[in-house]
Amino acid sequence: MSPRVLLLLFLRRWHMRIGLAAVVFFLFLAITGVVLNHSAELGLDTRYVHAAWLARWYGIPAEAPRHAFRSGRHDLIAANGRWMLDGRLSGERLPQPLGLVELPDMVVVASSASLYLYGKDGALIDHLERNALPAVPVQAIGAEERRLVLKTASGSFQTRDALSWKSAPRNGVAWSSPVDLSASDRQRYALLLEPGISVQRILLDVHSGRFAGRYGPLVMDLIAILIAVLSLSGVWLFFKRKHRRERH
Amino acid sequence: MILAVRRLLAALTVMLAAAAYGEVYQEPSAFLAEVFGKTPPPKVLWLTKDLQAEAAAILGHPPVQLRQRYWSEGVKSVWILEETGKEEPITAGFVVAEGRIDHARVLVYRESRGQEVREAAFLKQFRNAKLAKDGALDRDIDGIVGATLSVGAMERMARLALFFDRASRR
Repeated sequence: MSPRVLLLLFLRRWHMRIGLAAVVFFLFLAITGVVLNHSAELGLDTRYVHAAWLARWYGIPAEAPRHAFRSGRHDLIAANGRWMLDGRLSGERLPQPLGLVELPDMVVVASSASLYLYGKDGALIDHLERNALPAVPVQAIGAEERRLVLKTASGSFQTRDALSWKSAPRNGVAWSSPVDLSASDRQRYALLLEPGISVQRILLDVHSGRFAGRYGPLVMDLIAILIAVLSLSGVWLFFKRKHRRERH
Repeated sequence: MILAVRRLLAALTVMLAAAAYGEVYQEPSAFLAEVFGKTPPPKVLWLTKDLQAEAAAILGHPPVQLRQRYWSEGVKSVWILEETGKEEPITAGFVVAEGRIDHARVLVYRESRGQEVREAAFLKQFRNAKLAKDGALDRDIDGIVGATLSVGAMERMARLALFFDRASRR
């Protein structure tokens, strides 16, 4: 057999071997790539996977809830950037709350730099950032005669609607303060409020190989090289066969 | 090995968290002061069920909150809105006058790519845009390579600002 035929046989054999060995990776890359391209439409950035083992893998320490804030018939427990307001989860990546106040027509949760206004049914009415607040950081939140009161380093401010603010009196304010959770409640809420990672983030890390750590991207690089080898050997084999057919 | 993986992922998480704070190009209060001189007190547009449905049709998802703050004086109103581009919300200010966008500005940008949407060359496309009968803008907004989702978010916010302005004047 001539060296050219030997090379052709060698290439064909390895083209098939590489193709078979890498087919799972190729399918995996293709599927995750297509899904990532449409992640916004699929809402993957707003879907979270909550699992303690995943958080540990990402090096995110799981924080156990220790306190609850209570006001009237409402309560709030927070951990790992998640809030449970009246038994209902309120979202992801939320700040650490400072307190909870019930007003006649809304429930207000404060963090050091924002306010979240909820209706009595738990629907978010408004979210005020530092620009909409009279001063930050907020040190405490309370109520006085059906008004919301914020305590800041620049003084205390009161409002009825969280739109217009005026100075508040120093006395007579019922400040929200945390209440310790029992050991069983801590355990229960720790499970309910496990830290979450967005599906998009996980898919992106899996697609790029980063999920497997430092060597993951190198493995993906190797697969990319295999794709290049397959493409080139495929093209070469195609033209070689065509050339031989034309000669015959 | 496992420790190295966790360190790497933790570092990425910290980077993403830092990105979430975003780059503030202009504080919303400064934008309001620039538009009005002396900023008027905020007003509120309550999103009734009908308004929520129409806002959801514009955004492609239900609005996240039930009331929208805005500022207005005479024919001019200012809407400071947030909408997610790819992963993080973009905060943008829209000045609406007589049913048209007077000007738009990106105030806070939190994504790692696509900052080109803050450039004047892109934003000037919104000048004088108004709502067409089908609720879309009356013109096409040219996209930016690598910032498709941010461009889409800006366009949705522009439509929402015009829609809210119209609803606030009913």
